[in-house]
Amino acid sequence: MRQFTNFQLQQRMKIFLKTFVVLLAMSVAAYAPAKEIKLLNVSYDPTRELYQDINTAFAKQWKDKTGDTVIVQQSHSGSGKQARAVIDGLEADVVTLALAYDIDAIADKSGLIAKDWQKRLPNNSTPYTSTIVFLVRKGNPKGIKDWDDLIKPGVAVVTPNPKSSGGARWNYLAAWGYALKKNNNSEAKAKDFVTKLFRNVPVLDTGARGATTTFVQRGIGDVLIAWENEALLSLKDSPDKFEIVSPSISILAEPPVAWVDKVVKRHGTAEVAKAYLEFLYTPEGQEIAAKNFYRPRLQEVAQKYASQFPKLNLFTIDELFGGWQAAQKKHFDNDGIFDQIQLDNR
Amino acid sequence: MKRKYTLVGILIAGGLVGVQQVRADATTDAINDLKQQIQALDQKVRVLEREKELDTEAADAKAKDTPKIVVGEKGLSVSSADTNFVFQLHGLVQVDNRTFFGDRDNHDKSIQGNDGFLLRRARPIFSGTLYKDFDFMFVPDFGGSSVQIFDAYLNYRYAPWLQVRAGKFKVPVGLEQLQSDPVTYFNERALPTGLTPNRDIGFQLWGEVANGRLSYAAGIFNGVGDGRSTANADFEDHREFAGRIFLQPFRGTKVTALQNLGFGVGGSWGNVSSNATGLSSGFLTDGQETFFTYTNGVVAAGQHWRVSPQGYYYWGPFGLLGEYVISDQEVKKGAASADLQNTAWQIAAGWVLTGEDASYTGVTPRHPFNPRANQWGALQLVARYADLDVDDNAFPIFANPAASASEAKAWAVGLNWYLNKNIRVNTSFSRTTFEGKLNPTVATVARQPEEVVFTRVQLSF
Repeated sequence: MRQFTNFQLQQRMKIFLKTFVVLLAMSVAAYAPAKEIKLLNVSYDPTRELYQDINTAFAKQWKDKTGDTVIVQQSHSGSGKQARAVIDGLEADVVTLALAYDIDAIADKSGLIAKDWQKRLPNNSTPYTSTIVFLVRKGNPKGIKDWDDLIKPGVAVVTPNPKSSGGARWNYLAAWGYALKKNNNSEAKAKDFVTKLFRNVPVLDTGARGATTTFVQRGIGDVLIAWENEALLSLKDSPDKFEIVSPSISILAEPPVAWVDKVVKRHGTAEVAKAYLEFLYTPEGQEIAAKNFYRPRLQEVAQKYASQFPKLNLFTIDELFGGWQAAQKKHFDNDGIFDQIQLDNR
Repeated sequence: MKRKYTLVGILIAGGLVGVQQVRADATTDAINDLKQQIQALDQKVRVLEREKELDTEAADAKAKDTPKIVVGEKGLSVSSADTNFVFQLHGLVQVDNRTFFGDRDNHDKSIQGNDGFLLRRARPIFSGTLYKDFDFMFVPDFGGSSVQIFDAYLNYRYAPWLQVRAGKFKVPVGLEQLQSDPVTYFNERALPTGLTPNRDIGFQLWGEVANGRLSYAAGIFNGVGDGRSTANADFEDHREFAGRIFLQPFRGTKVTALQNLGFGVGGSWGNVSSNATGLSSGFLTDGQETFFTYTNGVVAAGQHWRVSPQGYYYWGPFGLLGEYVISDQEVKKGAASADLQNTAWQIAAGWVLTGEDASYTGVTPRHPFNPRANQWGALQLVARYADLDVDDNAFPIFANPAASASEAKAWAVGLNWYLNKNIRVNTSFSRTTFEGKLNPTVATVARQPEEVVFTRVQLSF
């Protein structure tokens, strides 16, 4: 039955508002120190060990700098498959893939990444490089020395499927480039060479790590065409079982990185995602890359690890293939040369 | 002669050695051939095994891409493999019994004829997700005397902290009003809900920030009277603005005793041009009897605002919920006008006797009902006190003191039995007393308290 006067109501509302503001301040104070940031790094197959080390070091650096905890979750599979997953909705904050074409595909097909992504970080957003080498069994029983040995009858070659694996596309193009250079840029002879090479491939894995499993753990094949970092890692794990053979000529592989603009905006992780990728270029990040057998960009780190990486005659994808877009369209798109080779080998 | 024999002997010996050498070479070659064959076969077997392994991996990966159908305690759910498209079917059925005391031997006949069973709610609930970020809900109700659409809205989720909802849904003001129907402590919500808007049509910006520690909602609606839902159309020109901010500052922290402490404030403001539906159709008791109505000819005319500070606290089996509502409305009848300020509040508490955690979203029995396994579900004791005070200035011009009470006070106790996550049986007793502007002997509503026993059998999934 009681009727509030306007004054009484104002007094009550003042008390309520004051209480509310105090509780609000307590709330902010309660959760502010517990800030935790999660990033998802969608990467290609053989980078598991690299990013485990990078994540630990970056989280420590970020904690020291800001007090916030960063938890980086990793996702690994064939590079092309990972790009498709991001296009289809996998909420990657950053992508660290095997080749620029796959990040271009995300930018073109989903619009999640700015089209000028390669200009945002040094070296066309490729913080480290690698190349393609051969891993053979100890003693090199088949006497494999160069690309020509891979097309000999009776030599079983392990390499993953270029349709799903970025590493496999590097392998394929390295072989093609070798054949081109050897045969005065004859496309027909290069195709014949690669056709013969894939005739010797007994199993096509979907990713580079799967191919390593096939060769190293399942004991299949005489030679694994592999990322240099993957080959060195296998050698480190089993030095008495394998040897590395460096071919006379190979390709300069430049795995790129990018933050996914629309996702980081939505997650509120733009700052930390950018810092995470920039960390790869720091001396600490470069040192970790070198320790994981990736060729560092930073000169001082490269010199320190020079003995680990033999000097090879390397060509780039731009030199021989006119860039990834052209290479993809000609060789790996549906009904491209790789599909023709597979048909010929059936 | 002797030399001849010696020569022959040497030739024979040499021949034997040669034969043996040839035999040895042939054996070695055969062994090498066999070795190569074995190695080739070994490679073939390994390749076959690896291909089988890869086929299994591919099949597993494909299984991940296969649409999923899930039937369980949360109803039926069909989703695409990537969960970007989801369709869910839920349901709510409530069968109630109300038994009023003292309605037969008293001279007040107004509450006679109210005992009985009723289908309080019968709702199929269709909800889902389209293109990952668009959610929808459609809820018709077949309970009561006519079919109604309770919820029908589309929600766009840019991120948990930024969402937009459009359609018909609950207006973000009252705490208990916003609580889901199957999990309220009692069969009927308390008196303060009578001063808050129910469902209305409009647009709302809302979200949850910092892992749900802060939630907010701000919307524009047609505007409805206290306790009312929209009739799906309203061509009165003015709109109503409503908003709510709610904090759970310790949610997800290590302070377990305060993790489920929540508090906030909801409110609305609108301007209504002469419109009877802008008013409450009547304030209801726990037994859903009307104890206050405006007289004929009274219309909402002018500003209508509401403020509702609110909060809850749950810790282990204990739960506490409280809210306070002020509804201030300008009304008119003929040449007479007034600014009426009605207030209500409630405090409700619960204790899960079987030890399960209580929460704003209900109780999950630790041991679902199964007498063969000596499992009996969860039991919860609940109690509530509530008050609704009508502005004195409403009498006698805008409300008839002989037919309407000016204040209702209600207390209730009850027992809720959660057989499992989907089935609940509850019973409660509620007593409401009234105060009026006239002597109780001539004020029909105010002259006797309402005492009612409720029971309910509820299925929700």
